Amino acid sequence: MENSKKIKKLLMNAIYEVFEKMFFVFLEPVERNVKYDMVASLNFDGSIKGQITAYFTHGMIENMLKNMLGPQANSITDEMIEDCAKEAVNMMGGNLLHKFDAEKAFYLFIPFFEKKAGVFMKQEDASTEPAWKLFFESEKNLLGIKLNIITA
Amino acid sequence: MSLKILIVDDSKAIRSVIKKIVTISGYQIDQIREAVNGKDAMDILAQDRFNLIVTDLNMPEITGMELLNWLKNNETLKEIPVIIVSAAGNFSQKEEALKKGASCFVRKPSLPEEIRQAFYEVLGISGHGK
Repeated sequence: MENSKKIKKLLMNAIYEVFEKMFFVFLEPVERNVKYDMVASLNFDGSIKGQITAYFTHGMIENMLKNMLGPQANSITDEMIEDCAKEAVNMMGGNLLHKFDAEKAFYLFIPFFEKKAGVFMKQEDASTEPAWKLFFESEKNLLGIKLNIITA
Repeated sequence: MSLKILIVDDSKAIRSVIKKIVTISGYQIDQIREAVNGKDAMDILAQDRFNLIVTDLNMPEITGMELLNWLKNNETLKEIPVIIVSAAGNFSQKEEALKKGASCFVRKPSLPEEIRQAFYEVLGISGHGK
């Protein structure tokens, strides 16, 4: 239980740091489901093995791109959206693992992206693996994060 | 001295940000080229010479660490300074990269100031030497 709280805190800090430093987006935790437009995931391996998945609304990614690229983001393409989503989940995963254990080496796989809509819900799924779910809002745009740890 | 810089990252957004930071850092830039992974960088380096390489580590096909190995084992390219900018930045990876000859390691997420500082450390402030 204590370890679970610690991981949740590390995950939140890792997410805040990535969004504030790289995208100048200030996230606020919310208690609501996220109706998402796209998903980016990153698998990692090392002293802990698992997956981090980010559920983005189109508005969230658009805001991240505009803040990061400035005028270059005036005409946002599908390629830019995919690139931004994958890079964000890559940095969240890398940052989380660094915070979890900065001494140990972790292997980050290449992130993958799916342009699919759905609802990321707070209710528990059937999985028996430990999972953490977080929900955020920024300027009415939403983000959901799920962390699965397969082995610890 | 005019600088030729090669930026290697599979993320176009990150390449753009690094490009923007180096452009506004006061250096006289002759050319900035971009590569999408280590293999692409090797192809570019086979045809052209650069004063600095900035590379990510976690990339498809040929990783940044493999690129670094290749560079530092190449007689004609081993003197080119390499800055690593990567999300995969645990101490052991940082140590390995520096041991293999990287000049500087910046862990993402990073503020523009941290990347600029790496340029200053490697190239000297405003390109006028250390």
